[in-house]
Amino acid sequence: METVRAFLRHPSGMIGLVLLLVVVVVAIIAPIVFPVSPWEMVGAPFTPPGEDGLWLGGDTLGRDVAAGVAYGARVSLLIGIASALAAMAIGVVIGAISGYFGGKVDLVLMRMTELFQTIPAFVLAILLVATFNPSLLTIILTIGAVSWPPLARLTRAEFLRLRHREFVEAALCQGERTWRIVLGHILPNAISPILVVTSLTVATAILLESALSFMGLGDPNLMSWGFMIGAGRTVIRNAWWMSVFPGLAILLTVLAINLFGEGLSDVLNPRVARRRS
Amino acid sequence: MSDAMQSSAPVLAVDDLSIALPKGGDRPFAVENVSFEIKPNEVVCLVGESGSGKSMIAHAVLQLLPRGVDIVSGTVTVAGQDPSKLGGRGLRNLRGGNAAMIFQEPLSSLNPLKRVGKQVEEMILAHQRPAPSMVEIHERVQTLLTQVGLPNPELLEKSYPFELSGGQRQRVMIAMAMANRPALLIADEPTTALDVTTQRQILRLIDDLRRERGMGVLLITHDFGVVADVADRVVVLRHGKVVEQGTASEVLRNPQAAYTRELIDAVPKARLADIHATIVRPEPLLEVVGLEKTFRVKRGWLQPPREVLAADGISLTLHEGETLAVVGESGSGKSTLGRMIMRLTEPDAGAIRFGGADLRQLRGEALRQARRQLQIVFQDPFASLDPRQKVGDAIARGPMAYGTSRAEAMAQARQLLVRVGLSETAAGRYPHEFSGGQRQRICIARALALKPRVLIADEAVSALDVSVQAQVLALLAELRQEMRLAMIFITHDLRIAAEIADRVIVLQRGQIVEEGTTAEVFTAPRQAYTRDLLDAIPGRDFFDQPGFAADARHIAGIESGIDAV
Repeated sequence: METVRAFLRHPSGMIGLVLLLVVVVVAIIAPIVFPVSPWEMVGAPFTPPGEDGLWLGGDTLGRDVAAGVAYGARVSLLIGIASALAAMAIGVVIGAISGYFGGKVDLVLMRMTELFQTIPAFVLAILLVATFNPSLLTIILTIGAVSWPPLARLTRAEFLRLRHREFVEAALCQGERTWRIVLGHILPNAISPILVVTSLTVATAILLESALSFMGLGDPNLMSWGFMIGAGRTVIRNAWWMSVFPGLAILLTVLAINLFGEGLSDVLNPRVARRRS
Repeated sequence: MSDAMQSSAPVLAVDDLSIALPKGGDRPFAVENVSFEIKPNEVVCLVGESGSGKSMIAHAVLQLLPRGVDIVSGTVTVAGQDPSKLGGRGLRNLRGGNAAMIFQEPLSSLNPLKRVGKQVEEMILAHQRPAPSMVEIHERVQTLLTQVGLPNPELLEKSYPFELSGGQRQRVMIAMAMANRPALLIADEPTTALDVTTQRQILRLIDDLRRERGMGVLLITHDFGVVADVADRVVVLRHGKVVEQGTASEVLRNPQAAYTRELIDAVPKARLADIHATIVRPEPLLEVVGLEKTFRVKRGWLQPPREVLAADGISLTLHEGETLAVVGESGSGKSTLGRMIMRLTEPDAGAIRFGGADLRQLRGEALRQARRQLQIVFQDPFASLDPRQKVGDAIARGPMAYGTSRAEAMAQARQLLVRVGLSETAAGRYPHEFSGGQRQRICIARALALKPRVLIADEAVSALDVSVQAQVLALLAELRQEMRLAMIFITHDLRIAAEIADRVIVLQRGQIVEEGTTAEVFTAPRQAYTRDLLDAIPGRDFFDQPGFAADARHIAGIESGIDAV
């Protein structure tokens, strides 16, 4: 409760939250405002913004850019959040095992993590999506698979810090089982920074998805911001609106998530929180 | 400083000082209407429990108060200057120049990345104008390090803080404080983090230096034993108000305020325990045989690892209902011993026999079952409770892990909370709502919830105020009788060992150097090391330590240390 109240007083965090809520609302009401599918040709090709009832103009085939941006919000948010959660699941499990058990297990898992970190994430993502057919699920899993290493390292560091704290040793002496010590004592005390990094991972996941769609590796059935920019990039000199509006959408969403994540980080970090109050 | 020595103008005058706390705190003022003076060549002790505002006064003197905490009335005068009226430059000249401070925790007050010689040098460079030549500075650093009794200053100045022991670090801090010949030295609990022998050396060093240089010393402490050893005058604080002040002997011999008397009485007097275990069964409950442990600390690529011998063939036995004190300086391996018995640290060799099995051979479920009978109370009550777990859960978890139903375990937890002197409602609250002493009671309740046969108390009262220490010790003594507990009491404080233990083991560098009944060890120590430890007990001369009286029967007749004087 106190955390929520502290967050409400955090200026940039609140700006992020409001922006993010706007994006969420747009995603929710997209089918009501734009009952026609964004793939449908509703006007003349290259309609400039404001003409023919198309606020943000039409694209090369006369599809409504505004509808595309609204439906794209659904895709971006869904993929961003789902793949960040996937990354968190992988990262926390690997980091927790590595940090708690240490020794050889830690050595093997950390070398594996380093292997993933040395391969450029985007190249690996392209490789994975191209290998499996691009679909919503494979894209989410791919982005999750390339974004977990920082989360694993963070979780490991937190576990190492907490592993030999006296309250954890006390739980061990009380006869609590390993899984209970991990889930009941270490994880709850490590969760704040993990949540913050996960929220920031949502932003990078949205960027990754956009980049994949831009390369034409998105789910062909989903209208996404990256796809729209990719489709409009060849005509950007005569029809700027096709790429600029989805680009602005990406910019605002990523900015909103970053502001929100930083606000969360400040509020959950007791030292910073105290300084502010 | 020769002027200051001749004149008797106070080096520190605190006049009617009040410091306000931010709104919403537990009291409006950290310190209210406090006045006292320190003359050159005088040691004034500021005594009080934690939260009494004693550190606030020290911080106010150097304008180091945290944001939101302000002086609302009164004045502080340090060597003729009012620090609150000084600007940035004047304040910098004052701090470390005319008034120097040493802190409680010597490790966190030294820069870990700089060699200690450089850090002392910096103090001189920051204050001396014109700056002396490097050769001269180097000589000064050498002299300072020698003066504070550090061995081999040539080598030492090139060391990093982590390579030094706690006592050596505190000496470096003192060398830094002395660098500019201050008129006033403020020492905020300078020995609380150190063991008794080091404490004595550091206090003696501060005392010698002030005689030599005629400085005034403001020493902050919660231990009247320390007061008895070094103070000229005493200011007793409680909840930010001065309860009593006067010369040390006046206050100690004839305290006017009831609170002062309480604090003095709370000092463990090393009275020998009058409760003695009657050993029913001859066979020991716990038997440790030839335990060995060496810690290897990596030092760099080419250097060989540094080896620290924590246990070198330790053997001991513990009977049902018996309390065994393990005493020694820090680094003697006493905590490692407790942790090895709990199987929190893996020994290199040896056996721990308990209940017919060797604990070292047990793994997994068998070890979990055995652990139920052995419990531990840790030193730091703030680190040993999960901040996100309610107190009741913390206590009930243990029995629940062994199959007790939640309802039953919680009912037991509430009973135990009452037994250790808290209320049933404590079960629904979080650890941060409790004070250090209350938290330690919770830790004791948690350890006892499993009805153990052996309780290991690892410096269980060392982090507590003296007055709270006494209460927790009394509780432990009661509980051990009630539950027929065998207890291993690990401590660096011999006064406490004397009050609670049946038998004492003295550890030095991982070896048992002396072992015997408490009366034997305290009245007729066989080893020089044990005698050193006994001599180092703060306030020993003053309190006349009845525990050391040759005639043990004499002890019962003496009510308190005061009467014995």
